[in-house]
Amino acid sequence: MPKYAMVIDLQRCVGCGACSIACRNENNVPDGIYWSSKITETSGTFPDVRFHYIPTLCNHCGNPPCVRGCPTKAMHKLENGITMHDPKKCIGCRYCMFNCPYEVIYFNWQQPHQFWRDSKPVIQGCTGSPSELLQKVNNNRGTPYHNPEREKTLPGNRPNGVVEKCTLCDHRIKEGELPYCVEACPADARIFGDLENPESKVRYLLGKFKPFRLKEGFGTEPNVYYIRSFNPANYESTKGGV
Amino acid sequence: MQGIKVKLWYGLLGLGILIGLLTVYKVFTVGFVLYAKTDILVWTLPIASYIFFSLTSTGLAFVSSIPVVFGIKRYQPIEKRTAMLEIAVMLAGLTCLLLHLGSPWNAIYFIFSPNLESPLWWLAMLYGLYLTVLLISFWRTHIGESSRTLGVFVFLIAIATATTLGWLFGLPDARPVFNAQFLTMYLPLTGFSSALAAVLLFNMAYHRFSGEPMSEGQVNLYNDLANLFGIVVGATFIFFIWRSIIGGISSSGLEFAGFRHAMGTGWYHLALWVGLVIPLVLLAVPSIRRTNWGKVSASALFLIGMLAGRLEFVLGGLVMPTGPKAEGQPPFVSYWPSIWEVFVVVFALSVLLLVYTYGERNFKLGKVSGP
Repeated sequence: MPKYAMVIDLQRCVGCGACSIACRNENNVPDGIYWSSKITETSGTFPDVRFHYIPTLCNHCGNPPCVRGCPTKAMHKLENGITMHDPKKCIGCRYCMFNCPYEVIYFNWQQPHQFWRDSKPVIQGCTGSPSELLQKVNNNRGTPYHNPEREKTLPGNRPNGVVEKCTLCDHRIKEGELPYCVEACPADARIFGDLENPESKVRYLLGKFKPFRLKEGFGTEPNVYYIRSFNPANYESTKGGV
Repeated sequence: MQGIKVKLWYGLLGLGILIGLLTVYKVFTVGFVLYAKTDILVWTLPIASYIFFSLTSTGLAFVSSIPVVFGIKRYQPIEKRTAMLEIAVMLAGLTCLLLHLGSPWNAIYFIFSPNLESPLWWLAMLYGLYLTVLLISFWRTHIGESSRTLGVFVFLIAIATATTLGWLFGLPDARPVFNAQFLTMYLPLTGFSSALAAVLLFNMAYHRFSGEPMSEGQVNLYNDLANLFGIVVGATFIFFIWRSIIGGISSSGLEFAGFRHAMGTGWYHLALWVGLVIPLVLLAVPSIRRTNWGKVSASALFLIGMLAGRLEFVLGGLVMPTGPKAEGQPPFVSYWPSIWEVFVVVFALSVLLLVYTYGERNFKLGKVSGP
């Protein structure tokens, strides 16, 4: 059985956010919910300023606290290492959000894609309403850009009152395709593969570069690894001073 | 006159229930967006109220077990009223829980897809068992067939539930502010102190509103209870202060920053000053402690403070955004309950008082059940 992991090369990542947009389209992610997100940090004082950009997603931990805490096994592990969620079993207690140290699980506080339910014209007497457009485009499936492929393993739109998170595009992996954030990355900064396969690119990269994982101290064994870092700046050789 | 007062009381409770039903309808049609919750503050007033009520209920089990389990017979006159309160308070807690869960109908999977590793699963099972045994035990007491075995069972399950709640808060390693080892002691203790406050308050209210004078034995018993309450409030105060010193003043860990922030909020100060310091002063003075108003004031203030304390406790582990959810957020987020969250508490209190009033009118709660 494969054990899937992702390597994110921070030297290649340009912070364009294409991964997040691709993820939204592929998984019909509603407003306010981010399966794919980022941590940014700006420090220093001009002109000596530093900017960090770390793309984030569910870490598909080997020892996931969200799975351990879920009372109904709605949050569960697949044999291939993916941490999956079944909204049909979810009671909406949000204990997984409470337990996850990475803050990558979101709750549907209301019916998803509220904007597209609005029956008021965007411009009175000029345009149609979002709900009219929706009906004409795809027979009321939540959004005009609804991806039916997502429905292979998960409801296309997750209902009000349950949590949701990245599934590593398990429906695409089943078809032998890469997760869509990996596919869409213009800089090839996301590398996906099987940790059990010695020939895989992830194994190669993890052997070649010293990786780090987020909050490793919690013992969660994340399966998203980060390598290298981007910094084009140079400085004059110096020994500092007393 | 008495009839009008009763009608007015039922009218008020009916209004509370109607507000609650409206809240249920709105929350499950519009969504939890009605609450002042965010992706950072995922647990707020409804769950804090659930913790408050459920721990008070288990604490009441400790009080009602005093005559049954420990054989201290002079506590028998309050046994049945306390058992009725346990049921009413537990139902209030379940009301809050219902309005916290996003999809409560999926709770069927507690049975069909159990996760034995989850403290939440154990807690649900224990509370289910607790309520069932409690109802049977109460009925047996009511028909005059009081069972010591059932009483012991209720007592043991109450200990298990109160301490399992500590495990539940201890599971998230990312939120060490909850400090599980500490909680497994703190939660049953505060449950017990809340229960003593509730027992005093409801017994005083019974005598006030029924017009039944207190016998000398009852006066002595309530004074005994007030003494015990004073000792337990003192112990709670010591725990509270040490929690503040260890987690808030002497710690420098980033994970404790949320609690350090929470210590500056009104909820914390309400819990400390209104809920602990003032009741402690009232209970420390014998001439006040022995009066009915002293008992009522100390109990009511303690319960108000304890509810604020449960909220402060939950928020302390959540107010500091981290990871990607910290993007664009202030270092600490603030919280003030929405009107719908307040309605949840109103609903729970109405359920509690309605069930209790029904019990008081139909089950002769002052009757001594045992031999």
